[in-house]
Amino acid sequence: MSLIEIKDLKVHYPIRSGFWNRVTDSVRAVDGVSFNIEAGETYGLVGESGSGKSTTGKSVVGLEKVTSGSIMYKGLDITKAENRRKLDYNHDVQMIFQDSLSSLNPRKRIEDIIAEPLRNFEHLNKDDEKLRVLQLLNIVGLDADALYKYPHQFSGGQRQRIGVARAVATNPKLIIADEPVSALDLSVQAQVLNFMKKIQREFGISYLFISHDLGVVRHMCNNIAIMNRGRLVEIGTRDDIYNHPLHIYTKRLLAAIPETDVNAREAHRASRLAVEAVYREQQSKYYDEHGEAYPLVQVTPTHAVALPQNVAQQLARQEGEVQA
Amino acid sequence: MAENFERHSDISAADLARLTQEAQAEATPSTAKIIWSEFKADKPAMAALIIIVGFILFVMIGALFINTPKMMETNIMGYFNQPFTADYWLGADSAGRSVAKQLIVGSRNSIGIAIGLTVISSTFGICWGLISGYFNGYIDWGMQRIYDFMMMLPMTMMIIVLVTIIPHYNSVTLTFIFSIFYWEGTSRLIRSRTLAESEKDYVAASKASGTSHWKIIFREIMPNISSLIIVDCTLSFAENIGVETGLSYLGFGLPSQTPSLGTMIANANDPNNITQYWWTWLPAALEIIILCLSISYVGQVLRRAADASQRQGALD
Ligand SMILES: Nc1ncnc2c1ncn2[C@@H]1O[C@H](COP(=O)(O)OP(=O)(O)O)[C@@H](O)[C@H]1O
Ligand SMILES: [Mg+2]
Repeated sequence: MSLIEIKDLKVHYPIRSGFWNRVTDSVRAVDGVSFNIEAGETYGLVGESGSGKSTTGKSVVGLEKVTSGSIMYKGLDITKAENRRKLDYNHDVQMIFQDSLSSLNPRKRIEDIIAEPLRNFEHLNKDDEKLRVLQLLNIVGLDADALYKYPHQFSGGQRQRIGVARAVATNPKLIIADEPVSALDLSVQAQVLNFMKKIQREFGISYLFISHDLGVVRHMCNNIAIMNRGRLVEIGTRDDIYNHPLHIYTKRLLAAIPETDVNAREAHRASRLAVEAVYREQQSKYYDEHGEAYPLVQVTPTHAVALPQNVAQQLARQEGEVQA
Repeated sequence: MAENFERHSDISAADLARLTQEAQAEATPSTAKIIWSEFKADKPAMAALIIIVGFILFVMIGALFINTPKMMETNIMGYFNQPFTADYWLGADSAGRSVAKQLIVGSRNSIGIAIGLTVISSTFGICWGLISGYFNGYIDWGMQRIYDFMMMLPMTMMIIVLVTIIPHYNSVTLTFIFSIFYWEGTSRLIRSRTLAESEKDYVAASKASGTSHWKIIFREIMPNISSLIIVDCTLSFAENIGVETGLSYLGFGLPSQTPSLGTMIANANDPNNITQYWWTWLPAALEIIILCLSISYVGQVLRRAADASQRQGALD
């Protein structure tokens, strides 16, 4: 059984207007998303900004009011608040936020920030709690000096590590990492990702790793889902996605990874333009008449793509020939 | 589970005391301390603060030694006594009552009402704004319709009507009547900041950490809008001194046997008093001007200091 099973998740934001505040329309931020996360793995969720990744992530943590669908954890549907209470759900599922500055309360000292989940879920005595906070700081590579300081006194990378420490405090089973390094410099990105990997090894935590950049996800994730306008357009292993992409949207994301090899830049640019051209010309092939993604169909046991059955088969064959 | 943390970090219980001490040496002073030290550096602000606090303490304590009913008795011998004499430091009014004593008791009444009004209306307005802004949705919608209704009522007229139909009222009932109509401005201000604040990720993080709504509202969000609250309260206080004074001046505030700054300024209604017997009304008018200016100056400095502590925060 998977650690967590997300089934046909929908989150629609009502748009209200008028004096009576009636619902006149809705934003379909997440529109029928299903995937499973296994214990101990890192699952990647990738898509452009605005595709509904954060909304999906927040739903899994229980921060979002879900319109329909279910998220099963230990046999209970945690989209319902009473089930979350019954399971002490957030003891087991925590979150790391993209904006490290806004996710740490500027008026609280680091000790109080990191101890917050401990105080609500573990009720340790004062000394044990302080010891745990010091150990957590040590684990993310910060000195004990940090204890009585405020968030603004730290750099972006340090703040994000404080966010990691808070998420790990209760030794959870799953952490939703919503673009944890997108706001950081490249050099600092690697440092924070390494701490996250180390913690995963030592504590056996699963991550739902959200990113808009397939380049970052490559080094973190075993399984990846590609999200586009509230729907999943492709699911597969790292190999499926990077070496045998089928959906044009996935190919665009791959083409958008910056090329670091100067000599290959020209070729990279050409291939990106080619993908862009295909995307513009073949919209109707990849999306239905309303411009929405098709339901997912399985092409191999691990690989699924959102295309009509015949198109998917044909593309898979082509892809296979290129490989051969 | 604790073993898990033991195993993967270099820190054990033996290090606790030493590390706590190290951390304490490096601790950052709290925002309140930063504001206080900035305050100490600004001499005029300090003077304004001392004037306000000193004056309030003086009238509160001084009024205890004055027998009000006796003071308010008519004394024909003192009819419009000149100021700066042995019995009447600030002269006497048309009934021969000491202006100085009336000023002390009247200030006590007026300032007491202003403090009570500020405490009640600001507390209510802050809670209303925080709850309305935090919960959003239907709760916010309902609370905002009540707000709209209250804003539609003509405030001064309603107070006059209530004061007229309630047979016996004193400073306390008057304070409550005023409070009904003076929380709205604060609530709107606080609500709009709370709406913005609730969107921030630290609120989401607190929810994900299992913290209850009430704790999030009052322990997480409220400290973050504290500078706004401090400034709003000081300015409301200055404004509220004017509220009672204005209504008493019009004759709808405290009963005329109860001295207040408003009833004393009302002496100026008589043209004779304005020119000949200036001591009956001028001290009260001056007092209000000095007090309000001092309060709003302190408010400005508080705002600047609060902003500065944030600026300083952004710099280092
Ligand atoms: N509270 C909200 N109310 C209305 N629309 C929202 C809200 N939150 C997000 N959205 C919309 O939902 C879509 C998905 O947002 P989000 O999940 O943040 O995307 P991502 O994280 O992939 O950038 C966006 O179009 C966004 O405008
Ligand atoms: Mg996002």
